[in-house]
Amino acid sequence: MAQESAVQYEPVAEIGGGAYGTVYKARDRDSGQFVALKSVRVQTNQDGLPVSTVREVALLKRLEQFDHPNIVRLMDVCATLRTDQETKVTLVFEHVDQDLRTYLEKVPAPGLPIDRIRDLMQQLLCGLAFLHSNRVLHRDLKPENILVTSRGQVKLADFGLARIYSCHMALTPVVVTLWYRSPEVLLQTSYATPLDIWSTGCIFAEMFRRKPLFCGDSEVDQLGKIFAVIGLPAEDEWPTDVTLSRQNFSPQTPQPITDCVPEISEKGAELLLEMLTFDPLKRISALNALEHPFFTE
Amino acid sequence: MARTGFCDSRQLLDLHMTDDRPVPLRTWANSCVLRERRVFAEGEEVAPGQHYKPAQESRWVRRIPISAEDGIIMDYAPQHESGPSDVYEEEALLKYLNRLPGPPSLRELMPELLRREMEVAISKLGLLYDKTYAWDIFSDMMRSQLLCTLPNADLPKHFSDTTRAILVDWIIQVHEVFQFSEETLYLAVHLMNRALRLIKVSISGLQLLGVVCLFLAAKKEECLLPEVSELCYLMENTYSKKQLLRMERRVLTGLKFDLYHCPPLHFLLISASIARCSDKVVWMARYLLELSLLEGHCVVYLPSQLAGAALRLARSILQEAPSPDGEMAWCIASSIHIGSEAALLSIMQIMATAAARAHARETRATFIKFSTIQTLHVSMHPALKAAPGLLGLSCPQT
Repeated sequence: MAQESAVQYEPVAEIGGGAYGTVYKARDRDSGQFVALKSVRVQTNQDGLPVSTVREVALLKRLEQFDHPNIVRLMDVCATLRTDQETKVTLVFEHVDQDLRTYLEKVPAPGLPIDRIRDLMQQLLCGLAFLHSNRVLHRDLKPENILVTSRGQVKLADFGLARIYSCHMALTPVVVTLWYRSPEVLLQTSYATPLDIWSTGCIFAEMFRRKPLFCGDSEVDQLGKIFAVIGLPAEDEWPTDVTLSRQNFSPQTPQPITDCVPEISEKGAELLLEMLTFDPLKRISALNALEHPFFTE
Repeated sequence: MARTGFCDSRQLLDLHMTDDRPVPLRTWANSCVLRERRVFAEGEEVAPGQHYKPAQESRWVRRIPISAEDGIIMDYAPQHESGPSDVYEEEALLKYLNRLPGPPSLRELMPELLRREMEVAISKLGLLYDKTYAWDIFSDMMRSQLLCTLPNADLPKHFSDTTRAILVDWIIQVHEVFQFSEETLYLAVHLMNRALRLIKVSISGLQLLGVVCLFLAAKKEECLLPEVSELCYLMENTYSKKQLLRMERRVLTGLKFDLYHCPPLHFLLISASIARCSDKVVWMARYLLELSLLEGHCVVYLPSQLAGAALRLARSILQEAPSPDGEMAWCIASSIHIGSEAALLSIMQIMATAAARAHARETRATFIKFSTIQTLHVSMHPALKAAPGLLGLSCPQT
């Protein structure tokens, strides 16, 4: 099997170091199509492939059956033995040349027209609503793993991988970007689907700004940058089960969001604020966001 | 969830009704009936469903016995509605037609009713905590089950149905040893059916393939896993642990990690709950359903059809005294099978034949499992030997 997959997919280029390992662009010798190969090395003990890996990959396959337009296609999966203690699971995804990061970089001076942003956001939220209704969290939403095809179709990639990789994660000295992390993740308290909405809000703002909204270089710095815009949350909003206390931050009042995102429309600003709400329980859901007047104005 | 468009209930019902559009009531009524039915005169078919207001859903429900005018159901027509004159019905119809812009169609009413029953059934079974999602979940099951059948019952050249049955029988025994859940068994056999066709195994590797499928099903469904060495021991150490783990990788790669299955047992329990079936009927149906695992021809049928056929056959085998409420509930439960009459009949024939000779077969694990007191001794039921006769087949000589 190892030989088979190596033979079927001919590596063309290294696309980049994802947080969890190298990703290759490869050509499928059967179809001539380009694919993205992502490999995970999992520790195998005497019980074979870990239950978590089996379940997570099976879940990705299950999602694939719905054929959602805003989700990147998972075309193939194979498991190969590397050593007695290590199995390599290779996920073969469709290859899309462009991610939102490069897409935004290519936009000429006045920036994206608002109609284009509305369309991108709608697709992004559709994909996210699909994942959330299937109880899947993305956990690492950022412009790099939002793909934009040449026809302008948005496809989410890398969702759910965090959990597959998690057993391997401690070994990787790669710094995962903090810029799109939600306050509850930064504070290391419990999190659920709202964490992806926070990241979506940051990306929404970035579509107008063409540069990231909050660029912290540590957890505390990231939180400080967030509070500088949304204001320091009230005492009773601060989660009780966290080590970082509210006193570590200077009191701040919320800034008008249009100071950071001057190009945004009125309805857009409303939606953005609902996404960048500190309390995850009060943050808007993907489904409700899709119903927001911003999309019909 | 409905808004995301994956679980559109209308689509679901269309799935079954597209072919029957011109005479919805007739097909609906047909699906309620077990024995001979009377042929409808023109007009009769359409009339009854139409002259009731949508708000009076409960009355509409009660009308079914009359509207179906079928041998079985007729007897239970409520007394106060027994005015049998067609004239009266026609008058009522005209009155309503004049007043109402458009009467509700059965296609609109039926899902609503089924939906309500479904919510109750699914929450009663503990399949979810919030019944708001019950219908979405059910719609999703109906759609997803389409991915759980195989295009044909052909096995690779050197395997026969008998070999397959022996393997399944052995999996059933091992499954029982570990006291796994029923879902694990159905998943294991489903994975085995697919793996047999996807990866090359020799006859000598067949048992290894079977045990790996059970192992993977357990990894997907169970909290406690058997140790690999235990599994090897159960195969009398014919294979090494290394061979077993190698097979695991081969099967996972062959199946492309697709371990989804929509267990027919869930359909059975939901339908049985809606239809208010007795414990005995449910156990009998579970027995028949498990017997279908041994039958190679059953792999082409949908899980909901297998479940529906098992339940229907169990009812006709046990011949419990019918009650008006029970018959009505049965009609509602059967409505998910509209349009699959032929398939259901074929499955019932396979199951009836299997059940009639189960006691005399070499592969008896299921027969023994369902002969215990906990399962109400259903597999020993005397009427099983005559089951094929119920469907007009000849009974095997014993």
